[in-house]
Amino acid sequence: MTACSVPATVIDRIREIVGPGGYIDNSDDLAPYLEERRGRYFGAVPILVRPKTVNQVSNVVSVCAEAGTPIVPQGGNTGLMGGAVPHDTGSEILLSLTRLNCIRDIDPINNTITVEGGCVLSDVQSAAASVNRLFPLSLAAEGSCQIGGNLSTNAGGINVLRYGSARDLALGLEVVLPNGQVWDGLRRLRKDNTGYDLKQLFIGAEGTLGIITAAVLRLFPSPRETQTAFIAVQGIQEACDLLDQMQVRSNGMVDAFELISDTALDLVLTHMPQTANPLTNSHPWYVLTSLSASSQGQALKIALEETLSSAHELGNIHDAVVATSMEQGRALWRLRESIPEAERRDGASIKHDISVPISQIADFMAQAEASIQAEVARVRLVAFGHLGDGNIHFNLACPVGMDANKFLACGDDLNRVVNDIVSSFDGSISAEHGVGRSKRGEIRRHKSEIEMDIMERIKIAVDPNSLMNPGKVV
Amino acid sequence: MKVLVAVKRVVDANVNIRVKADATGVELSNVKMAMNPFDEIGVEEAVRLKESGTASEVVAVSAGSSACQETLRTALAMGADRAILVNTDMELQPLAVAKILKAIVDRENPKVILLGKQAIDDDSNATGQMLAALLGWSQGTHISKLLVTDNEVEITREIDGGLETLKLTPPSVLTTDLRLNEPRYASLPNIMKAKKKPIDEVIPEELGVDVTPRLTVLKVEEPPKRSAGVKVSSVKELVEKLRDEAGVI
Ligand SMILES: Cc1cc2nc3c(=O)[nH]c(=O)nc-3n(C[C@H](O)[C@H](O)[C@H](O)COP(=O)(O)OP(=O)(O)OC[C@H]3O[C@@H](n4cnc5c(N)ncnc54)[C@H](O)[C@@H]3O)c2cc1C
Repeated sequence: MTACSVPATVIDRIREIVGPGGYIDNSDDLAPYLEERRGRYFGAVPILVRPKTVNQVSNVVSVCAEAGTPIVPQGGNTGLMGGAVPHDTGSEILLSLTRLNCIRDIDPINNTITVEGGCVLSDVQSAAASVNRLFPLSLAAEGSCQIGGNLSTNAGGINVLRYGSARDLALGLEVVLPNGQVWDGLRRLRKDNTGYDLKQLFIGAEGTLGIITAAVLRLFPSPRETQTAFIAVQGIQEACDLLDQMQVRSNGMVDAFELISDTALDLVLTHMPQTANPLTNSHPWYVLTSLSASSQGQALKIALEETLSSAHELGNIHDAVVATSMEQGRALWRLRESIPEAERRDGASIKHDISVPISQIADFMAQAEASIQAEVARVRLVAFGHLGDGNIHFNLACPVGMDANKFLACGDDLNRVVNDIVSSFDGSISAEHGVGRSKRGEIRRHKSEIEMDIMERIKIAVDPNSLMNPGKVV
Repeated sequence: MKVLVAVKRVVDANVNIRVKADATGVELSNVKMAMNPFDEIGVEEAVRLKESGTASEVVAVSAGSSACQETLRTALAMGADRAILVNTDMELQPLAVAKILKAIVDRENPKVILLGKQAIDDDSNATGQMLAALLGWSQGTHISKLLVTDNEVEITREIDGGLETLKLTPPSVLTTDLRLNEPRYASLPNIMKAKKKPIDEVIPEELGVDVTPRLTVLKVEEPPKRSAGVKVSSVKELVEKLRDEAGVI
């Protein structure tokens, strides 16, 4: 890198702190860290630092704070909003916790695990499983994303309905603040009412307030019995009623309740090899649901079958299949999990990751679908997502025969139409994936002045010189 | 034509198996169970024979504890007409199962009996062959394709370097391989129907079968853990390691 505005002395001091192997500074090796995986953002930095200890993180941050050099924290770089990608000015440094990846403690009685920020999510899941516990955070990027990134984006995933999002799974944090100080908030407590819950500030902050170097996370009993069903529902309202019945009859054992539209399933069946509709006929809406219990037995299966058969008698569902083995359950889940890839293969698409109260989803969908059709005729609605969380991926695929670029040029208008309807339902325009760079402007249209003002004042209080991931979120 | 299909209740193929601390077997308490996957393929094939009009009745049989009723219900939900549970809490080894199945065949007189080529718990791959010997029937093992007519059974088996096609004279014992078919899901209407289908119960004594184990398990151990690989920096280093450390060249 020639044109870099990070002072050479800062880079030298950083190299000294972390030593050989603790940084990457040649452009070939840096390249993969400078790009968002969907190729929407590219950045430039003179150095990527990979500290091995919290002390090194603190020292690096202190050096940057002194010199006024901004830092972009990066985890697995799987985030979808460009939050972990630096700007292209070359004036920032990247800091990755990849080497800060120890499991510090597992306490099965306290049902907690204490891990460092660079631990890969799937390694935390395995560590929990080794003591017969479940760490329930689970998403398709789990083999690459890191706990620090998961907490910073307040990641959701497939088990939010039952266990909550990353925010609900954290009991304590250790954070390196923008001035280099270390805040040790690694408490392993479920009850602590001693003032503001500071950890929640850093969770979901997307690296704008500090660097999460370790966390205490909650564990749960391992599931021993799982039931999975794929269901053709009459409509979205009937799907919501089914969820309610399922929760009541199973004693709240529903892990996931996913909505899949026929267009979404069609994309999968068309573009993904070795997939087939598990039902004999096609239907406008499907639900994929999983329930689990920590003891083996028939109770869950009976609850599921009884719920389905009464819904069938009422005409709320048309058809359903129940997996008879975990393998069949996985095959059903593959249909759901391959929707994003099928969308990619299908071509241009305009995406929305929205949430509204579950009771309003049916109304929202009806209104939003009519409005987008009025905006772009024959646009294909590929709706799917976490119905049980009120979170729908309201994605729009290019009308058949329309030029992809012409369609993508309507993106801003379509976003606006959809987001305004979301707001009118008191919903969120970014339910899961955060703000990053992508939605920084747009959130201002949907959050009140008071909310934005409080957020900005918090940012200034914690990071007065705006050195932590500037230009993201706030 | 009546078709009999044998189904075994085993640990679900996707469960991580743990060996018991005292090395007497694998941990079965509080573990997810399912129908042996090869038996699922057997049920699917039997139901297809019925749907194509070749078979008139499909009867599922399982031997084991009362919990096997669940496995039989799955077979019924897939499309079997009725089921028989040979109820016993004794440990059942392949020879005992073969004898039980022979007794059921003697009662039911099927033209074909389908079994999995092996059960994924003990991997014995023996019950079908023993049963054929006890019955004196023709046997087609590890089948990947099946054609049944009134007086002929044609099967295809995957063998090293190709496919082998055989004609058998029924009645026949057939054991299924992975590629024979893709088992269906149990649909809601069929699950409901299955609840009303009959499951008859008998005990081995009624069949005049002695199921006492003939084999003694000495010890069950986990396989040695694979150690992590290493990266070598050059071909020279690779050759040195293969020669000096691994001792393979
Ligand atoms: C295939 C796929 C599926 C996905 N599915 C889901 C899903 O179901 N639900 C969901 O919520 N998200 C999902 N995501 C989005 C993404 O994986 C998650 O948001 C994930 O939590 C990001 O983790 P990461 O380690 O990759 O973080 P990165 O992408 O590296 O960073 C994300 C943000 O966090 C900041 N950050 C990273 N580490 C730290 C740290 N230690 N301290 C402070 N700030 C930090 C970064 O600066 C950035 O702003 C998916 C992504 C992919 C690619």
